[in-house]
Amino acid sequence: MAEQSATRVLTCIQCGKCTGSCPESGKTPFNVRMLVRKKQFQSVVDEALPWYCTSCGACTIRCPRDVKPSEVIIELRSKLVEDGDIPVAIQKALENTFVQKNPWGRSRNKRADWVQKLDFEVPHVSETQSKRLLFVCCIQAYDPRCMVIPVNVARLFQAGGMEFGILGEEEACCGNEIRRIGESGLFEELQEENLAAFQEYGVKEIVALSPHCMNVLKKEYGDNTGIKVSHYTELLAPMIKSGALSLPGSFEKKVIYHDPCFLGKQNNVFDEPRDMLKAVPGLELLEFSRSREVSLCCEGGGGRMFFEVEATYQRNAEVRVLDAVEKGAEIIATACPFCVMTLEDPATEKGLVVKELSEILTEVL
Amino acid sequence: MKTGIFICHCGHNIKHTVDVKRLSEYFKKYPQVSVSEDYPFVCSEPGQDMITESIEKHGLDRVIIASCAPSLHGELFKDLLRKKDVNPFLLRRVSIREHCSWVGDDIDQNTEKAKRLILSGLYGAAHYVPLEEKQVEVNKSALIIGGGVSGLSAALFLSKMGMHVYLVEMGKELGGHVRELKSVWPSRVSGADIVEEMEKELRARPNVEIFTSTKLSNFEGFFGNYEATLNTPEGQKKATVGGVVLSIGFSPFDPHIKPELGYGRDPRIVTTLDLEKAGDSLDLPDKPRVAVLHCIGSRDEQIGRPYCSRICCINALRASEAIKEKYNDSYVESFYMDVRAHPRGGEEFFEDTQEKGVLFTRANIGEIIPTPQGIVLRGEDTLFGETFEREFDLVVLSIGMSPPETSKEMATLLKISLDKDKFFLEAHIKLRPFDTAVKGIFIAGSCSGPKDVEESINHGRASALKLYGFLNLGYAFVDPFISIVDPKRCSGCRMCEQACVAKAIKFDEEKRVVHVEEAACMGCGLCNATCPSSAISLKGYVDSIIDDEISALLEAI
Repeated sequence: MAEQSATRVLTCIQCGKCTGSCPESGKTPFNVRMLVRKKQFQSVVDEALPWYCTSCGACTIRCPRDVKPSEVIIELRSKLVEDGDIPVAIQKALENTFVQKNPWGRSRNKRADWVQKLDFEVPHVSETQSKRLLFVCCIQAYDPRCMVIPVNVARLFQAGGMEFGILGEEEACCGNEIRRIGESGLFEELQEENLAAFQEYGVKEIVALSPHCMNVLKKEYGDNTGIKVSHYTELLAPMIKSGALSLPGSFEKKVIYHDPCFLGKQNNVFDEPRDMLKAVPGLELLEFSRSREVSLCCEGGGGRMFFEVEATYQRNAEVRVLDAVEKGAEIIATACPFCVMTLEDPATEKGLVVKELSEILTEVL
Repeated sequence: MKTGIFICHCGHNIKHTVDVKRLSEYFKKYPQVSVSEDYPFVCSEPGQDMITESIEKHGLDRVIIASCAPSLHGELFKDLLRKKDVNPFLLRRVSIREHCSWVGDDIDQNTEKAKRLILSGLYGAAHYVPLEEKQVEVNKSALIIGGGVSGLSAALFLSKMGMHVYLVEMGKELGGHVRELKSVWPSRVSGADIVEEMEKELRARPNVEIFTSTKLSNFEGFFGNYEATLNTPEGQKKATVGGVVLSIGFSPFDPHIKPELGYGRDPRIVTTLDLEKAGDSLDLPDKPRVAVLHCIGSRDEQIGRPYCSRICCINALRASEAIKEKYNDSYVESFYMDVRAHPRGGEEFFEDTQEKGVLFTRANIGEIIPTPQGIVLRGEDTLFGETFEREFDLVVLSIGMSPPETSKEMATLLKISLDKDKFFLEAHIKLRPFDTAVKGIFIAGSCSGPKDVEESINHGRASALKLYGFLNLGYAFVDPFISIVDPKRCSGCRMCEQACVAKAIKFDEEKRVVHVEEAACMGCGLCNATCPSSAISLKGYVDSIIDDEISALLEAI
């Protein structure tokens, strides 16, 4: 990735739009504007600070001078990664990704184990007509909580007659978080490995399960891959609308939808997930007071999935759950595995259930 | 042939990196060169005298001036030739400043390059023939497009000077955005009063035709005789006009484009324009908390509006003041990046507003979240370095100026250019700020970039004055650089007819050849390049000139 141009950093007018938009400012010692100012003057930055960033992207999307503050943070992290001054948990995630191509260090051989939960065969992408690849990626492949996502989406696609294949063990981590942690060398390796596989099997279309994977495949794997990348909700929503996928069951619950940053504000997918929920019989859809473009980040991105910051403060996930309770929701629905993971603990405490969209749809299938 | 070569030092600009003495000596060896001189400032009066004296003394019939770019001092040098009864098109300008001395530091290389450039001028000029500037009659009437304050002031000026004026307005009534303003700063009179006074005066004038709810649908012709087609509610109307003042104003910025501002999601988030219209209908508590945000839709790279809209700081101050005056116990906080109260009296107005108790916080608000209790503003006070979340009863967005919605359409119709921000582009930002690249078409008011009411009125008047200067002569010279067709070579393929943007090429059905309508030809050379039979040439730029100039550049010196 090109280094954030130094001349753009010099154009920063210190207006505070970034800090005012940042989900970490105020409650943690993190202040984006100040870090950009320090970058302008090449001043020393406390090495704990850059790790607060959740890479939600709000600063970069709104910056009036297009300084791309989130990229400045990545640069600060890169320097720390290079010098080895990084939290142990981050270190571990990087090593694991290097060896096993996933941050949790699980065996690469088991990357396609989730298919055993299905009662039909999932072909390798090379054997499909459409060359449509379901990009599963690490958390959905290994985490017991998130493994249901590929299983559900596969069932929904099967039911709606949408052909797809997988890469199985040949798939490597997408690298979205790795790049944001600041390990650009490792990111490039992952990118090369995946691109080589896409090319070898003539992949024409990629359907990502996590918005994080969708983001990196779509925006950071290069402009000339010629491969169409979408999030699975972008395929399912039209299938439901056209009647290709029917939802005969009923789901009599009050559901509030949480926009994942990488799906919503960073990639403008706001309506598809809502359309899907609205199509579920019996479901009542609610909205957070902060939704769509101003949705509050769950703090699961930018490497925050792998380690805990030192500061103690009320986590955004908790703020989110309290808002959901106030709105009278019974279920928090979202479309991102990281959001599911971060929201679940505080939600359980308040007696709320967190569901990934595909879980609700599968229940009414 | 008697050629004079005059090489300018341009002070140190050229002399520093070009050996001007070596140059002037070098050209003395050419038999067709009667005089070759170098001089500190050829454009100065003694410099000009040197040229006129040389013309007289040597009977020069070609003049080559090697100096700055030809666009500079063009008419000045042409006039020197005219004064001595030498056809001005026998003058050749060679740019040895922009194209040579300013480019590199190596004196030897620069001098060699200048030598070739001058030589190419010398070879080319040998083919020059005297060209006649054609005089055409000019229609003493003007089309004003857009009936806001700048259009109104242009129309008033021109009609008072005796020009027939067609004033075209797209909307139902005249006055534009100013009509909506309750109090125009700094005079504090109502916008409606300003425009109604102008309109009344204009309607009383016999030489003014006003068309509202009307759009320009077609535009052709050339300076002095433009043909405009107007789509009026009563049907199409044609008007022949000498020139145009384009004053179609701006579009108010639509804050929906910035979703984090929450505009449209809650009636308590309004723009400065909404606030003007709302007036007393605002439903606020006795001690309202009001936030005013500067720079909405201005100074923002993310939405392609990197410019300062210049009016919104004053508008933000006006809004803050209006709230403070109406609600004595209100809490008004103004959020700014910089306060640019630049017009005369603006800084004092800023001070007054502060004295009235409006608080100013240096923060570009991150996001606005409507809640049932109040509108929550999230931002960072950049001077305290502290993040805040504050609740307000009303949020006023001081919106900037976006280019007019019809700017692209109008640019295509009039064949004029837009700048990078999609406002209309002036011919020269300092020297010709009212002109466009097309003769007789002027721009006025905020369609050429953000302006306040006073500036727009002045800009309208200034453009009208420039147009008046052109029209009042009653005639105009047309550049003699027009295409000519050799009927013997023309095969009648009519490809040139399609290439011509000025629609100057006409086909003769009987003789099966084309000819050029001189008055309409713009001399662009498109037909020339298109013709497969080489039957068309452009006066002043015939092939032999260009061929010889190129060979001079390439030949070994």
